Amino acid sequence: MREGRRGTVPDAGAAAAAGPAAGRAVGRRGVRRERGPGAGFDGLRAAGRAARAEWTKLRTVPGTWWLLLAVAAVTAAVGAGAVSGLSTAHCPPAGCREDVVRTSLSGVWAGQAAVAVFASLAVTAEYGTGTIRTTLTAVPARLRVLAAKAAVVGAAVLVAGGAGAWGALLAGRALVPVGFAPYDLGAGPVLRAGFGSALYLALVALLALGVGTALRDTAGSVAACLAVLYASPLVAGMLSDPEWVERLQRYGPASAGLAVQSTVGTDGLPIGPWAGLGVLAAWAAAALAAGGAVLRSRDA
Amino acid sequence: MTAAGSAGAGAGTGADAGAGGAGVAVRTEGGGVAPYRSQLPPARDGFLRLLHAEFTKLRSVGRWLLTLLAGAVVTVLVSLVSAGGSDAVTSGDGGGGGGSGAAAARVADSFRFVHRPLAGDGSITARVTDLTTGADTDAPWAKAGVIVKAGTEPGSPYVALMRTYEHGVRLQHGFEHDVAGGAVAGDAPVWLRLTREGDRLTGYVSVDEGTPANGGTPASEGVAGGGEGVAGGGGERWREVGSVSVAGLPETARAGLFVAAPETVRQERSFGSLDIGTGPSEATGVFDHVRLAGGSGNGGGDGGDAAWRDEAVGPASGPAAANGPAGGAERSGGTFTVTGSGDIGPLPPAADLTWMSLAGAQVGLIAFAALGVLFITAEYRRGMIRTTFTAAPRRGRVLVAKGAVLAAVAFAAGLAAAVVSFLVGQRALRSGGHRPPQFPEVSLTDGAVLRAVVGTGLLLALVALFALALGALLRHTAAAVTIVVVLFVLPLVLGGGLPLGAVEWLFRVTPVAGFGVQSTTPRYEQVETVCVPEDGCMPQGPWAGLGVLAVWAAVALALAVWRLRRRDA
Repeated sequence: MREGRRGTVPDAGAAAAAGPAAGRAVGRRGVRRERGPGAGFDGLRAAGRAARAEWTKLRTVPGTWWLLLAVAAVTAAVGAGAVSGLSTAHCPPAGCREDVVRTSLSGVWAGQAAVAVFASLAVTAEYGTGTIRTTLTAVPARLRVLAAKAAVVGAAVLVAGGAGAWGALLAGRALVPVGFAPYDLGAGPVLRAGFGSALYLALVALLALGVGTALRDTAGSVAACLAVLYASPLVAGMLSDPEWVERLQRYGPASAGLAVQSTVGTDGLPIGPWAGLGVLAAWAAAALAAGGAVLRSRDA
Repeated sequence: MTAAGSAGAGAGTGADAGAGGAGVAVRTEGGGVAPYRSQLPPARDGFLRLLHAEFTKLRSVGRWLLTLLAGAVVTVLVSLVSAGGSDAVTSGDGGGGGGSGAAAARVADSFRFVHRPLAGDGSITARVTDLTTGADTDAPWAKAGVIVKAGTEPGSPYVALMRTYEHGVRLQHGFEHDVAGGAVAGDAPVWLRLTREGDRLTGYVSVDEGTPANGGTPASEGVAGGGEGVAGGGGERWREVGSVSVAGLPETARAGLFVAAPETVRQERSFGSLDIGTGPSEATGVFDHVRLAGGSGNGGGDGGDAAWRDEAVGPASGPAAANGPAGGAERSGGTFTVTGSGDIGPLPPAADLTWMSLAGAQVGLIAFAALGVLFITAEYRRGMIRTTFTAAPRRGRVLVAKGAVLAAVAFAAGLAAAVVSFLVGQRALRSGGHRPPQFPEVSLTDGAVLRAVVGTGLLLALVALFALALGALLRHTAAAVTIVVVLFVLPLVLGGGLPLGAVEWLFRVTPVAGFGVQSTTPRYEQVETVCVPEDGCMPQGPWAGLGVLAVWAAVALALAVWRLRRRDA
C-alpha cells in the first residue's frame, strides 16, 4: 500500500536514487544525471536502475571494499593455515582419508562472519543514517529495492568469496603436507567445492540481507546471523544422539550448505552437496521473505 | 557531582534523556542556580554516581534488556536441546562394579596379580628387570611392580609401588593418589620394596646395579621366603618413595607382583573429524629376586613356591581385556614373567553431565557479546558519549563504571540462566537415560557443580566485558560483535577438524579457554586421557581457563581506556 502507486514514475525514481546516493557518498560530485528519460515502463529496466543505484551506494562506501577484501583474505588464510596444520600422526593404519579439499576450504567458516557483517550493513547502515528514507522516496517499490540490494550484494560476495575460495584451494594444494594426496584443481568435485563455496557465501549474504532488512539494526542482525550460522555445528557438537546430530547437519544452514565442499565420501554425508546448498537457499529465501514482509508493512 | 544524580532522576524518560539531563545539570552548576548540591567532594562521590548513571542507562533501554533476556533464554534452550538430544551411551566396561568402594566412586581395578598371603607386618621385595609393552600397545602408564592389597576382589584397598613405562617409579594407593618416585634410566633394573607396619605402608626404591645393601636378595638365592625377616628394609642405598596410611587392610593381606597396562587410546582423523578409540594393550614385566618377608603366619618361605597364586583381578574392562590376551604368569627358577592388561586407578565418569547441561552458554554468549558491544557503541552512534563525557570528564572512570555495571548485570542474568539450564538439563539428561549406576547424580550443592554454575555466570559476564572493551576500541558495532563471536565460536566449530595439538593450543590461549570453568570431570595425572574439548575436557584447570579469559578482558579493557583517553569522542 505504502509503495505509493501514484508516485511510481520509475525514471524519476531511478534518477533520484542515483542522486542522493552519489550525493551522500561522493559528496562533491553532487547529483549525477541519469541518462535519457527512457520511455519504457518495463519493470526490467526499472530493476536495472535500482540495481545500479544500489551498486553506486555500495561501491562508494569504503567499508565495502575492506569487508570484501576481508572475506577473500580470511577465507584463504584460515584455509591455508588449516591445511598446513594437517598431520599424518593420527591417520588410521590404512592411510589418510582426510578430505584435503574440504580442509583447504574450512576458511569459509571464518569468512562467512565477514559476509554476514557486509550484507547486514548493506541495509542496516541505511537505517542507521536515515538514507533508507531517501532510497525509498527514490524507488518507492520497496520490494524492488530489496531485490536490487540482493542482486548487488550477492554478486559482490560471489566474486569476493570465489576469489577467497580459489585462493584457498591454490594455497592448499601448494601447502598440502606429505602423506596426503594433492588434488587436481580441474577435477569435478574440486570445481564443485570451489564454486559451491562461493555460492555458499553468496547465499549467506542473502540470508544476512534478509535478516538485516527484518531487524533494521546492525548489532541485532549480525548477532542473529552469526547465531543462526554457528549454532547448528555448535549444538551438533554437543549432542551425542546420532539422529539429532544428523537432523541438525541436514537442516542447519551452515552445516547443510557446506556439504558442497565435500569431495570424498559424499555418499555417506547426511545431505548431498547440492541438496545442502538448497537447504541454505531455502533459509536465505525465508529470511528475504521475512525482510520483504517487514519492509512492505512497516514504516521506514 | 550532581550530574549523575539528575541522570538518575531523568531515568524514566529513557537513557538519552537521563544523560542529557546530566549535561544540563553541569551547566546549571556553573550558573549557580543549582538548588541541590552534594556536600561530598566530587572525587569521592563521583564513582558511585557514575555507576548509578550507567545502570540507569542500561535498564532503561528496552532493546538491551531484551538482548539480555534473549541471551539467558537461548542459553537455557540450547542447554535443554543439548541435554535432551543426548542418549546415554552405555559403554561396555562396568568398571570396578563389584568392589566395595566401587559403588561410591567408579574405579578401574583389573590387573594380573601373582600373590601370596601376607599376615601382619612384613615386606615384599622384587627386582623389575624388564617392562615391555605388546605390539600395537601405546601405554605410557603400563606398570609392573609390587602390591599389597586387601584381597583379590576389585575395589579393595591397596598400596602399589611400581615401575611405569614412561613415568618412572610411582607409589599409588586408594585409586586416586599417586606419588612420583623418580625417573628410571633406560632399561636399568629397579628394585622395589613395599613394607607394611600396621596400616602404614612405605615404598622404597633402589636403582643400584648390584644388590641393595641390607636386605637385598643375593642373586644365587632365588626366591626365598621370609626367613631373614628384614621388615625394616632401609639400607643406605634404598630410597624412600613415600609412606602412606591405608585403612581397611585386613590383618592378612595379599602381597605380590602385578602387571597392568591401560587401554591404548587411539586417535583417528578421517573426513575432518577426530575419532577417539581405545584398543587392547598388554604389558609384560619380568621380576626376579622376589621375596616376601615377615608375617607371623608366613613361615613357610621355602615351601611357599606353590603358594604363589596367579590370578586376573577384576572384570574384563572394556575392549582391552576382551580382545587382548588375558595375561598370564610364567615362572622359571626365581624369575617371574607376568603379562597383563587393565589398570588400577580412578575411572573418570563417561560423560560430564554438568558440562552437558551448561552447553547453552556457547550459543547464549552471542547475545551477551552483542549487549556488551552495544552498551558503548550505541552511545557513539547517538552522540550521547559526548554528553556522558561532559558530565563525567574522566573517561577511564566512565568506562570502568560501565564495565562494572555491565559485568554485574550480565553475571546476574548469566547465573540465573546457568542455574535454570542446570536444573532443566539434569532433568532431561536423566530422562534420556543418564542414571546413577553409570552416571552418578550431580546436584547444585556439589563443589564442582557449584563452581561450574557460578563460573558460567562469570564467563558470560567476562564475555560481555570483553565485548564492551572491544566496542570501545573499535567504535563499530558490527565489527566488534563479529570479532568477539568469531574469537569464541570459531575454535569451538573448527575444533573437531584440527589436529589435537592445534586444538589444545587454541583452547589454551583463545578466550574459549574460559569454558574450562564448566568442566567438572576430575583429572588425574596417572591416567592417560585424551582431552577433547567438545566433551568437556579442557586442557587447563577450571580457574586457569577462566583466568585466561579474564586476562583477555583485562587487556582489552586497559587498551580501551588508553585509547578512550587519547581519542576524540
